Amino acid sequence: MIDSILLVDDEDLFHIVFDDACSLLDITLSLNGVHSADEAEERVVSWMSDPTLKPDCIFVDLNIIGSSFDGIEFINRVNHKYGNGVVIGIISSSHNEEEIQKAQKVGAQFWIVKSDDIEPRLEEFKKDFEGFKEGTQTFKVYK
Amino acid sequence: MKIKLCPEARAELQTLGKSKNIWIEGSVVKLLDDCDGEFSEYIKSAIENDTSKRKKRLEITKQVQDQNKELQKKADENDSLMVELKEALRVAEEAKETALSDLDVMQRKSQFQLIGSIVKYALWVIVGTGIITTALYTFAITSNSSETTLIGNTWSNLFGILLTNSFSIIGTIMGVKYANKEDGDN
Repeated sequence: MIDSILLVDDEDLFHIVFDDACSLLDITLSLNGVHSADEAEERVVSWMSDPTLKPDCIFVDLNIIGSSFDGIEFINRVNHKYGNGVVIGIISSSHNEEEIQKAQKVGAQFWIVKSDDIEPRLEEFKKDFEGFKEGTQTFKVYK
Repeated sequence: MKIKLCPEARAELQTLGKSKNIWIEGSVVKLLDDCDGEFSEYIKSAIENDTSKRKKRLEITKQVQDQNKELQKKADENDSLMVELKEALRVAEEAKETALSDLDVMQRKSQFQLIGSIVKYALWVIVGTGIITTALYTFAITSNSSETTLIGNTWSNLFGILLTNSFSIIGTIMGVKYANKEDGDN
């Protein structure tokens, strides 16, 4: 089980879906959600002063309405500006190959395609999580 | 990390669950210690209750998500139709303007044609009358007619009337032309 997860997504309904799916699949006990990349960046900055608040994994939407930058830029900042070393990836309804490549380039470890039936993908991700954490699992797209 | 509840709290929770169907919900249930099996039945029931509620909520949320997507799709279609409708309306307005302009041009053209015909026939009548009376007067002079003076007066009066009418016609034509020019400028 993943200790704690941060979800960055502008869609309220998806927060509910993700929360219920994580609970039903026993993925995590602690799920936090934010609705913009700016808010998420503030969280990342706060973890630098208090690492106990840092989650084990971050799921970021690709296009986050109301944010000054998108999910790929957020991953870029987390990995290169703050050097956080957290398991991080995209969760988006898009599966545009070009965007996937960009995300991989900035250090995303996974790409989960959002759809009506997200549970099987999350279950598969749960199995791979330890590999992501230890760095043995390569970039993976969950379609 | 497990949370161990005191016997009194466990008993209260068990009674509450059985009598009023009120259960602890959420992730915290998974952290409760079963106290060597004594509290396991309650935890199991609470988890079942939580799972059932979450399943229902997940199903409904997904339905709402689908409906939202459908609504968004319809809204996009409506927007697209509105754009098409506005464009069609603009084209229709343009066509109407063109038709009205063409109609106006045609009306003016027919008015000018009518005026032209009237002027032409009026001038023919004036010139014809002038020629006939002049010829009659000339004939009276050359044939030493006793009616020369009478015909002369008549010719003079008639010519005056014809000239006045000619100027009146010319004035009317100029007025019509001027009025049409003013309309066109406006």
